[in-house]
Amino acid sequence: MQEVRFLGRGGQGAVIAAELLAQAAFLDGKIPQSFPFFGVERRGAPVTAYARVSSEPIEVRGSIATPDAVVVLDRGLLRFAGATDGLRENGWVLVNAPASVQAFAAPAGIRLASVDAARIAVDHHLGSPTLPIVNTAILGALARVTGIVSLDALERAIAAAVPRKPQENRAAARAGFEEVRPLTDPRSRLPLPPPRPRRELPLPEGPLALRSSEEILTASWRSLRPQIDLSRCTRCNFCWKYCPDVAITLDAEGYPKLEEEHCKGCGICAEVCPPKTIAMVAEA
Amino acid sequence: MTVEVLSGNHAQSEAVRLARVQVVSAYPITPQTTVVEGIAEFVASGRFPTQFVKVESEHSALQVCVSASALGARTYTATSSQGLLLMHELLHWAAGMRAPIVMGVVNRAVAPPWALGADHTDTFSQRDTGWIQLYAENNQEVLDMVLEAYRLAEDPAVRLPVMVAEDAFYLSHTVEPVDVPAQEAVDAFLPPRQGHAILRPGEPSRLGSFTSPEDYVLFRHELAAAADRVVPTLGEVEGDFARRFGRSLGGTVVPYRCEGADAVLVTLGTASTPARATVDALRSEGKKVGLLKLRLLRPFPESELRAALRGVGAVGVFDRAYTFGAAGAVATETRAALYGERERPALTSFVGGVGGREVTPSLVRRVFDHLLRGPEEGIVWSDLEPHRELETHG
Amino acid sequence: MARLTIPKEELLRPGHAACPGCGPALAVRLLLKGLGARTIVSIPASCWTVIAGTYPSSALGVPVLDTPIESTGASISGLRAAADALGLEGLTVVGLAGDGGTADIGLQALSGMLERRTDAIYVMYDNEAYMNTGIQRSGATPLGAWTTTTPVSASARGKAEPKKDVMSIVLAHRPAYAATANPSFPEDLVAKAEKARAVHGARFLHLFTPCPPGWKFDSADSVAMGRLATETGLFPLYEVEDGRLKITRRYSRLKPVGEYLSRQGRYSHLTPQEVDAVQAEVLRGWVGLLRREAEAGPAHDAPSASLLTR
Repeated sequence: MQEVRFLGRGGQGAVIAAELLAQAAFLDGKIPQSFPFFGVERRGAPVTAYARVSSEPIEVRGSIATPDAVVVLDRGLLRFAGATDGLRENGWVLVNAPASVQAFAAPAGIRLASVDAARIAVDHHLGSPTLPIVNTAILGALARVTGIVSLDALERAIAAAVPRKPQENRAAARAGFEEVRPLTDPRSRLPLPPPRPRRELPLPEGPLALRSSEEILTASWRSLRPQIDLSRCTRCNFCWKYCPDVAITLDAEGYPKLEEEHCKGCGICAEVCPPKTIAMVAEA
Repeated sequence: MTVEVLSGNHAQSEAVRLARVQVVSAYPITPQTTVVEGIAEFVASGRFPTQFVKVESEHSALQVCVSASALGARTYTATSSQGLLLMHELLHWAAGMRAPIVMGVVNRAVAPPWALGADHTDTFSQRDTGWIQLYAENNQEVLDMVLEAYRLAEDPAVRLPVMVAEDAFYLSHTVEPVDVPAQEAVDAFLPPRQGHAILRPGEPSRLGSFTSPEDYVLFRHELAAAADRVVPTLGEVEGDFARRFGRSLGGTVVPYRCEGADAVLVTLGTASTPARATVDALRSEGKKVGLLKLRLLRPFPESELRAALRGVGAVGVFDRAYTFGAAGAVATETRAALYGERERPALTSFVGGVGGREVTPSLVRRVFDHLLRGPEEGIVWSDLEPHRELETHG
Repeated sequence: MARLTIPKEELLRPGHAACPGCGPALAVRLLLKGLGARTIVSIPASCWTVIAGTYPSSALGVPVLDTPIESTGASISGLRAAADALGLEGLTVVGLAGDGGTADIGLQALSGMLERRTDAIYVMYDNEAYMNTGIQRSGATPLGAWTTTTPVSASARGKAEPKKDVMSIVLAHRPAYAATANPSFPEDLVAKAEKARAVHGARFLHLFTPCPPGWKFDSADSVAMGRLATETGLFPLYEVEDGRLKITRRYSRLKPVGEYLSRQGRYSHLTPQEVDAVQAEVLRGWVGLLRREAEAGPAHDAPSASLLTR
């Protein structure tokens, strides 16, 4: 049995990717299973999904603790705790990243590959440039590096199960299959991302929540960040006034300050800024 | 203390006034209506300064109580049958929020077909909602139980809502003498509610949050732990009540002439009255029979019930409702409670008095005769025939 | 530096779980600026159940009570009754429900609360569908809009029925104060929240809250979408006080509604004829509103006794 964990953001199609992988594996004559993490999906928020492919009946359900491969639809998520927890020796980490990226923080004893699934998606008019739907492109890449499904089965699964733009999605899967490349750069031999910390068990008095959500850092939702050119700022405070995330504060002189840990990168501030002094730039 | 002749429903309203309930909310349904009419008259006369919210449904009535309780108010509602079923979702909310609401329930048959008579299907089908369920046999018990219910519900060890159930018409509309305690005595027994885990103006917090599975299970576990503390806490409350008022309701299970009994009948609610008379009659004929009145159905007083039935040869359980696909509800609970006993008595499930049919001494006598003949598998529907004694009176 | 046109105090905390560009999140941030810290909020199942965060944290700087989806009107009645019984002075009681929880499943409890003249503010944040469950149509979904339960195909054109007019239902109960507001006009929204707080009796706010994932537009355009809704006359801003209707954002010329519709994926299937039909409906609504404003003058003067039979 091979087990795959998908990490993405709400809206990128991680759950559909796991399902498509299961559909494709079935067409290959295998026994598949896929499973979304049952949380509350919010656009941009981290999402996890799982798929298992086996030649025998699968006698297990639920999340995957020790995956053979981790597919990362948004490489920003690699920075966060728990991303590659439990990955098996010589397992694959497949990352959606532009060709210019040659290295990642990744442990020894794993195999790393990347594919520019975002560009492939945009080329095939899947999603928007700010939120490309990268799942079919990265599935093509996964088929190539792990052999978990055949490209033919993947294309047939897409044709049967994807209601919108099936031809474009098939072409994206083919492009992902062709373009994926292993990363062998020694700089990728970097320490593991930190393992997810274990929570202290609370002893609830009643279901009464008393802590502030400020402790929850939502920066991981962001793929674009606002860059404020204070030299041209007129201190009109529109960016502060319209921010739904309370992620812009005003200093004593009325200049805006980005609260980086909480900004979700929606781009409203850039849009409402009268002199256009805010630019949305890609996260490094 | 004065003795007044009161219906079960007015015993509820008197108790609510004496308990200085701060928020009452209800929607009318037969045969509960006179409970809330009584409260409305107390409010209109100036005798009872409560906030009485007259809502547009039972669902809203219980929501008013849940929300008012979240701010720390002592609350009350009353309903019956269909109204209780409509409240079902909110019953879970009340218990999950650990809201010490007290509710009077007039046990009435569930439609269809429409029927108004006494039947326990309405409260039995709420057994999993996290509410403590107390059942009264007479109107004195109704009044006393409501006062005790607030002490029990608000005890820091419990913090759970309580239903005080009374049979339709046999209590709700039956008048009989009831000792009504003085306000000062009730105040001394029942001090104002102390708020635990409530919302306070100006203090940010959230009650009822969205939770992860890891936390959700902890709240369920807490609910179970609170359920385990109900029986001992009720014992303390009843002890204090007996000291102050000179009368005792007798615990979670009340045995009557069970010593050396060959057969004991377990009853709930008003069926206990003809059953007690019949036990006396049969004992005078030399038949060794006894009665075990159950007062608490949720949480089920397993160890008290086991102890009371130890050494009894045959147990019959008389249920005023049928639990779908099983037997009488009290019968299935009793059977499960006895499973842990080394020597288990034979148990027969009798269903009778359903939909308001009268539970007469002759019916109870037939039940005992049946029981003394030997145990029976499955359910004995004890009163499918027309009542001959009623026909002759009719 | 420009002076602040709305209060600086933040009662919405960062770290909440709204989607990027969330209209309901911005609307509540502004709403609470107007209502102040001595507020208690009742939230039924809705997007805000999730936005307010996961136990043990809360995203609001005021006490919050969760309820089932249909309960808001009853819940704020209970909070009001308890506040009065316990002598909690100056407490502003607020229900914050979505359009589904108000226009559909919660309509009975809302009507009960309005009829009882409950001294509380009911806020409907309207993102025009069941968004928390993933974009299913509600009674407040507009005509022609795509949702997952009103799909578009050769024979189906999105939602086949017009949007339920919740404000008219509310006004039939003669509330003490009712208003529409839109977070794209923060000063107007905050002023209405402040006004609602000062009035006693049953009060109602209808907040227009754009939803980027549900309406299929880029999160950066959330404020622009709200502005267009009002500038086209599709969601006019007005208030009704003691029966008197007053438009608070007045336009001598409205923008064509196509400018609004064409920027949302949920309307991408509309033909020019269908857009024209929406345009005609919007203009009818705007003219009707102007008429109601003009009529609202002396209508509440005491009717003449000569109307009675002798």
